[in-house]
Amino acid sequence: MKASVPAVAVWGRTAPSHSVTAVMITDDQQTIVTGSQEGQICLWDLSSDLQISSKEMLFGHTASVTCLAKAREFEKQPYVVSATENGEMCVWNVTSGQCIENAKLPYRHTAIHYYHCSFRMTGEGWLLCCGEYQDVLIIDAKTLGVLHTLSSSQSSDWIKCMCIVHSARIQEDSLVAVSVAGVLKVWDLSSSLNSIQEKQSVCEKESKSLDCINCQAVRFCTYTERLLLVVSSMCWQVYDYCDFSLLCTEFCKSGQCFAGGEVLAAYRLIIWTEDGHSYIYQLLNSGLSKSMYPADGKALKETVYPHLLSFTGMKENKSLPSVMGFVNERKEPFYKVLFSGEVSGRITLWHIPDVPVSTFDGSPKEIPITTMWTLQDNFDKHHSMSEGIIDQLCGSEDGFGSAVVSSSVYIPGLDKLVCGCDNGKIFVTLGLETARARLLENISFLKGNLPYKVLNGHSSRVTCLLYPHDKSVRFDPSWLLSGGQDSVVICWDIFTGGILQQFDLQSAAVTELLQSPEHYRLKDQSIVYCVCSDHSVAILHLQKRQCLLHARKHLFPVKKIKFDPLENVLIVGCEDNSVYIWEIETGTLERHETGDTARAILTAVEDSEYLVAGALLPVSQDSKRNKNSGYKHSSSYKHGMGPYPAHAEKSSDKLTDTSCIQQPFTILPAKTKWNNANFHILLFDLEKLEELLSSQLNGLKSSKSFHGQYTLERAKSTTEKRALTLKRNKTAAFVPQADGQAETVCSDQVHRDNNAARPMEEGGGIKRWKKMKSSRKIRMQPSGNIDVNMATDTAKLLLSCLLPWGVDKEIDNLCARHLNILRLQCPVSFGLVSDENHLSLMLPGWKCTDCGVLGEHGVFNLFSKRVLDLSNKYLAATEGQFGQKDGHENNDYGTRDLETVFFLFSRIALIYRIINTPSAVTDEIESPQKPESVHDKWRNVEAITLSCPNFYAELPSSKSKYHSPDFGSISLLKLICCWNDQSVKIVEAMQAVLLAEVQRTINPLRKTAICREPSAIVENGNVSVLKHDKSSKSANFQDVEDTSDRYVLEESESPDDMKQHPWISKVCSCKVC
Amino acid sequence: MAAAMASQGERAVLEEEFKWLLQEEVHAVLRQLQDILKEASHRFALPTSGSGGAVKQENFVLSTSGTDQVKGVMTLQGDALCQADVNLKMPRNNQLLHFAFREDKQWKLQQIQDARNHVNQAIYLLMNRDANYQFKTGLEVLKLMDAVMLQLSRARNRLTTPATLTLPEIASSGLTKMFTPVLPPDILVNFYINLNKLCLTVYQLHMMQPSTTKNFKPAGGSVLHNPGAMFEFGSQRYEVSHVHKVECVVPWLNDALVFFTVSLQLCQQLKDKISVFSSYWNYKPY
Repeated sequence: MKASVPAVAVWGRTAPSHSVTAVMITDDQQTIVTGSQEGQICLWDLSSDLQISSKEMLFGHTASVTCLAKAREFEKQPYVVSATENGEMCVWNVTSGQCIENAKLPYRHTAIHYYHCSFRMTGEGWLLCCGEYQDVLIIDAKTLGVLHTLSSSQSSDWIKCMCIVHSARIQEDSLVAVSVAGVLKVWDLSSSLNSIQEKQSVCEKESKSLDCINCQAVRFCTYTERLLLVVSSMCWQVYDYCDFSLLCTEFCKSGQCFAGGEVLAAYRLIIWTEDGHSYIYQLLNSGLSKSMYPADGKALKETVYPHLLSFTGMKENKSLPSVMGFVNERKEPFYKVLFSGEVSGRITLWHIPDVPVSTFDGSPKEIPITTMWTLQDNFDKHHSMSEGIIDQLCGSEDGFGSAVVSSSVYIPGLDKLVCGCDNGKIFVTLGLETARARLLENISFLKGNLPYKVLNGHSSRVTCLLYPHDKSVRFDPSWLLSGGQDSVVICWDIFTGGILQQFDLQSAAVTELLQSPEHYRLKDQSIVYCVCSDHSVAILHLQKRQCLLHARKHLFPVKKIKFDPLENVLIVGCEDNSVYIWEIETGTLERHETGDTARAILTAVEDSEYLVAGALLPVSQDSKRNKNSGYKHSSSYKHGMGPYPAHAEKSSDKLTDTSCIQQPFTILPAKTKWNNANFHILLFDLEKLEELLSSQLNGLKSSKSFHGQYTLERAKSTTEKRALTLKRNKTAAFVPQADGQAETVCSDQVHRDNNAARPMEEGGGIKRWKKMKSSRKIRMQPSGNIDVNMATDTAKLLLSCLLPWGVDKEIDNLCARHLNILRLQCPVSFGLVSDENHLSLMLPGWKCTDCGVLGEHGVFNLFSKRVLDLSNKYLAATEGQFGQKDGHENNDYGTRDLETVFFLFSRIALIYRIINTPSAVTDEIESPQKPESVHDKWRNVEAITLSCPNFYAELPSSKSKYHSPDFGSISLLKLICCWNDQSVKIVEAMQAVLLAEVQRTINPLRKTAICREPSAIVENGNVSVLKHDKSSKSANFQDVEDTSDRYVLEESESPDDMKQHPWISKVCSCKVC
Repeated sequence: MAAAMASQGERAVLEEEFKWLLQEEVHAVLRQLQDILKEASHRFALPTSGSGGAVKQENFVLSTSGTDQVKGVMTLQGDALCQADVNLKMPRNNQLLHFAFREDKQWKLQQIQDARNHVNQAIYLLMNRDANYQFKTGLEVLKLMDAVMLQLSRARNRLTTPATLTLPEIASSGLTKMFTPVLPPDILVNFYINLNKLCLTVYQLHMMQPSTTKNFKPAGGSVLHNPGAMFEFGSQRYEVSHVHKVECVVPWLNDALVFFTVSLQLCQQLKDKISVFSSYWNYKPY
């Protein structure tokens, strides 16, 4: 029900490419933030001795990042804003990696400056933006909505660079900007606050044409409060801020271009170039003009000339285009750091001495590089963490130990992971087993016995894979398609591993395999489109086993493929906005259109089917697309209402059973843009898993007829829940249809639909489901059928990934022995999928600096040192309430393990939900008058409806129905909320709670292992109590779920209804304490 | 054909060829691109700093061949319309109206300015990689080409897609206040570039009576509104009664568009040449 899903990244040997386009260091000098051309944001830890280690990668942008800037006063909130080529803006919390706010505006920013005037400004401050539009935009730092513009009265043009001048002497904050045509403009900020807030037009105070084109940076010297540094690509100049008179000019060496600069100290400047060099100058006053009063009565004319003090350069003369920046902190523990990010993804730091000096003979002195680091360094250093998902398979077979995965696809229905390799081999393995074998330790037997198939057919790299049955049942479930560098497309039988058909396209590498969309119902054909790197498109008919058309005339990469079933033509839209229309029957090019006509054609067939082919998409979009596709086939609301049942009957029974039931575990393959580094993201659906586990547990129990009452109660509640889920599904399915764009459907809907999809399929439709509602047995069966082991194994894998190993050796062993939660092979890269398709993934080597001390004792996978404290706090806070329960843990031997696993798991799920949501709530509380822009209104409402029921349900259920039940829930809730306020990350909280719970549940095991006899006696006496307690607990939990479901339902039906406000305050009050 | 099959000798030849491509061919193409784009940039007559030469003024007569209801004489100076004379023959009474820009006013054609800026950015990107620069990987070239193509396609799109404005937006734009004599309240004008043409649209409005039985439905944004489109401006409802559109080809815009198309194709061809080699071996990025 909640948008976020925990994820574990399995990286490959090669780091994803990260061509740095923007770089900044946060104010606390602990994090370096880089934005890349591929569209990702990377967070790097910067230690106090200036060592770099990559920490996290944030996915969410779909285009190249153009600029980064802080988005709040950093001490209060560690937020950074990023902007991209296509107008997306995101505010990220750089400590937790969460996306706080995002928006897409029709503006491309090239520079952003945060401005906040604490005493006269409401809200969180402004982002002053400039870019490929006239003048300066003021954007609200909180909502990312456009507040106003700073306009020009004359020669308005794009602004190339700007800086905020804050001077005590002038008593006015101003914005100094230089336009692309070299016109310097000054806007008053503090004195125009009111007119901006009242939306009156604000024009520049001053406008002066400087003789410089391609201005790269403008900086105000805060030390002298009068010098203005203007850096253009050819030269840098110093102006007097009072009258904008030119004081000095220095040209760059030939072959170099200046890219920026900063004022180091009074009369000391640092200027850097595009290729990563920098120069430190001392400005010398010419004594002459100072001592002399000008005879002609003019104002005192001062001239300065620069003297080169020191410089920095790159090693090995290897200079690549780079972006640079400089942090100049005067506070003690901080350094003056010059930093640069290259297109290769390398970060370089120079520690600039406080007083740079030249060498004794007066020649400039080189400042050495302090640190250099790349993502790949991290991957190499922590090579066990960056092992690919099927590396163990490749290793086992001799001769090709270094096969690199070049493309992969996961088939959720069959739990099969298909990986195409660089050498042309295709591996087919079981997804969960492979993940377990990759992540867990001591299961060498598993590794050895991991069932897999190798498909041999391609002579070179496998570039793309497609399992068409996933998206459309029109296709035979045994078909698997692969395209290779060798321009061959092979249709495999996935079950036998045989080649069904081989299409040799005789052109360039296959870049993309796409299937014709679902409701293309002209003929019942199984057609696959195939895009090659020479921009040709082939249509393959799988049943007829022939290539219907190979369209080869396209000059530009193919962007869109549309099918006009009426005319039987293929419409291909290219990147240059031209359109090619191919007649399928004859294979001839019917028309080629450009410009308006092309646009008209594309929009005219908008209603009919089309696919978007993105030949070289950045990874985020790639994963997003995967997510969406995953959503489409899993949600099946279309299928359920449309032609789905008919189709289902056609295919074999056995398959529909498994393929349609959405698995709680998914592997998401992802590929990076330039170096084709492949990695996989394991997604765990907590809700789903919880449900599966509980039903499984329930099934076990009922079979033993142990807790009759409990089962009944549970069954009732499940039935209720099903009904609700179903209804909810309807509303959920309704939303995207109304929106008309499935692409923007946020992932929480995805997961709600995932949930909902199953009941529908079980029944095959609403009506059939209603009939079956009465007979519990039939209903229960399918959910239990999912593969009992799969659910528990998945849960155990997740718990393994979450546990900090090595904190207590004994616990580790007990975990492994009794609960079968196995030790990890290496720390995992955890990640969070938050709503709106934003994803953050930890990178190999996260926090290695932080845990360095602990690491010696063999502790690993500890997310931070804080976790241990938190865990102890949690133990203390919940002390006693589970005291009596502990004793009963082990009375039912058959289900005990499962129970414990389930208990641990549900704890985590609960924590996850609690901690995930209040941020939205607290935000609401903090600013109830927050002007909700249209785009996030719905989201907010949803966030509340999703978050609050948990609290709400928690409180009354603990008071009303059961006398002394989960008293801990409330205190737990308080504690977690408290953590949330301390900006404890979700993973930290989850880990802390898990550790505590494991300690608590394991400890009695330890005791009982020693003295089993006495405890057995105690057990006998307590059985009844236990029964009650157990049932009440579980049912209670179920009740929580139900209430929340009901709330979701109600709220989603009336999203504008604000009646939940009363208990927001409740949440608030409990949060405070 | 693929890497696995390529023999050692074949490989060596291929690598040699790739080296030639990076060292010679790429620079040749870049130079060609630069020449074309500089030519395009000159068309936009950017007042280069230092030269001091004022940008040439050009006169364009905007009219339609059939009727002479609207006739406009425009003076274009770079990206600004510095003079405009609009003659409008009212269809009802054949009364002739005449408006001209006020002496002190200029109207900036944002589309031209944006296109010019995009081209200059593309040139700047290319200038950074002059003949002395050594490309070490194909990837580098691909990235450069992507960046240049992005700017070029934006430049082209700016000219080919005029802004879609709503009628209240047109009414409230500064354009209405630029004329002398002042435009009557029932006339709206709009200037824009569409492909290679400078376009002028004149909307004649008719005020809707509050008591009217007609359904009021405000029109959305559009490049060219049709008669019958309704809108509300300053608490008064209007309906468009007549639309006159006149245009005139600006020759240098045509040239610029051709230059854009040619250079985009050059870029794509260079990209294709580079990626051919990617079939043979994987790039080592940096």
